[in-house]
Amino acid sequence: MRGNLCVLGIESTAHTFSASVTKENEKVLSDVKDVYVPPEGSGIHPTEAAKHHALVAAKVIKEALSASGVKAGDLDAVAYAMGPGLGPCLRVGAVSARTMALALGRPLVPVNHAIGHIELGCMLTGAKSPLVLLISGGHTMVISCSAGMWRVLGETLDLTLGQLLDQLGRHFGYSSPCGRRIEEAASRSHRYLRLPYTVKGNDVSFSGLITAAKRLVDVGEPFEDVCFSVQESAFATTVEVTERALAFTGSKEVMVVGGVAANKRLSEMLNVMVERHSARLSVVPLRYSGDCGAQIAWTGLLAFKEGVTIPVEKSVIRQSWRLDTVPLPWRTAA
Amino acid sequence: MKLVYRGAEADIFSDEWGGEGAIFKFRKPLPYRHPELDAEIRAQRTVREAEIIHDAKAAGVNAPSLYYVSQPESLIVMEEINGPRLKSLLSSPGRDPEGISFDFGVTVGRLHRGGIMHGDLTTSNVLVDRAGVRLIDFGLSAHSIKVEDHAVDLRLIKETLAGAHSKIAAVVMASFMKGYASEVGEARAKTVGRKLVEIERRGRYARLE
Repeated sequence: MRGNLCVLGIESTAHTFSASVTKENEKVLSDVKDVYVPPEGSGIHPTEAAKHHALVAAKVIKEALSASGVKAGDLDAVAYAMGPGLGPCLRVGAVSARTMALALGRPLVPVNHAIGHIELGCMLTGAKSPLVLLISGGHTMVISCSAGMWRVLGETLDLTLGQLLDQLGRHFGYSSPCGRRIEEAASRSHRYLRLPYTVKGNDVSFSGLITAAKRLVDVGEPFEDVCFSVQESAFATTVEVTERALAFTGSKEVMVVGGVAANKRLSEMLNVMVERHSARLSVVPLRYSGDCGAQIAWTGLLAFKEGVTIPVEKSVIRQSWRLDTVPLPWRTAA
Repeated sequence: MKLVYRGAEADIFSDEWGGEGAIFKFRKPLPYRHPELDAEIRAQRTVREAEIIHDAKAAGVNAPSLYYVSQPESLIVMEEINGPRLKSLLSSPGRDPEGISFDFGVTVGRLHRGGIMHGDLTTSNVLVDRAGVRLIDFGLSAHSIKVEDHAVDLRLIKETLAGAHSKIAAVVMASFMKGYASEVGEARAKTVGRKLVEIERRGRYARLE
């Protein structure tokens, strides 16, 4: 295999359709995205999001190629997010990737979206084998790498952090994703309203918290106070289980990735926590914390280098695909 | 007083109490947590830990002896246990992981039979000394005879084994379950085991087939 591989990656697991070109030495050459925005007060409707993706796919891929300065013919492989995610959305990305692979006569590489977040985060922050906090609309997990697999040390038993914030926001009439507006509202309050705090071993649960929070909104508590209190309670449980995993593994490196990593209050809490354990916190740059093509392109590149490909006729999508079942040949080889 | 371990929520010091070696467990304020919430959680967990240690001993579980409890300081003084953590035993070669896992299963079975869930059964919270398997850290424990709660305990053990001891996880879990069944009975062990699988399937993106 020749050096300095170049891979196109396509991401379409949820509301974001994105394409990116990465190169082994120069890393991320381009990353273009177009995000489906649902009507006010509602969440992502999978088929509506998929329609959006189908409409923008060609434009996004074309832009990603031209912004990278790489000619389509010079690509070595095409990577796509095989899962986990919303079926109709995944299908659009898979069809786009298959089309590119067949047209260019290049191999297709399947990528697990969650592992994409982690590997891109490691590359961008320089973290080697950190304890990872993956927090997004699809995941809330504490993960560490052991014997060539990412292992889940703790996770949510019901809602993810992203879902918690989105459901609270939607209850107030916003459309998903609501994280930024909730963070903004919370920053205007210092009044803490007591909410459920559920830690079970290394796992967290937010179902009681969302019910109680919606009730507070309904009885007329100011929205910013509810947002403040939800952030304080939910983030504290998340930081606590991360701290438990950190104390357990003795790791000195913590990395936070996923859409909710953009929240400043959360990274402030994590910073205070890691200091107590003389560990280092890496936060993925804002530009790449949410879903993006680069996470698929970069991880696809790592996988392709180790010979991971899939024939087009077998290139299914997997709505359910836990990251702790995915072999990582690029981590075992090293 | 010597700091011997910095845990997630408490600092553990070693000192003397009435001429005996003792452990001082301080639940320190966690500066990232809202002060009101933090004070409430620390007070609640300190008292609960002391209560449950007492009840666990009554159930025949080898928990440490309590010397002193102070809610305002979030402090518990207890017997110092001189023995390695299960975590390091399972990581060092040449040990007998199956025998020790069986005894660990017996201990947890006894706790559950006494109507207590531990809530934080990682291999860091299990020590082994001359008296055998000793359980510590009951801050997340609760009185419960529910199958679900007991299965949550087993799930954490399984999670920890997969995360930190992945190569021997299957062997350790199998002999743990043998020891557990010898205490709670085959039928109950099967019921809790089935619930454990059900809980795992609730995990995000777990395969449902």
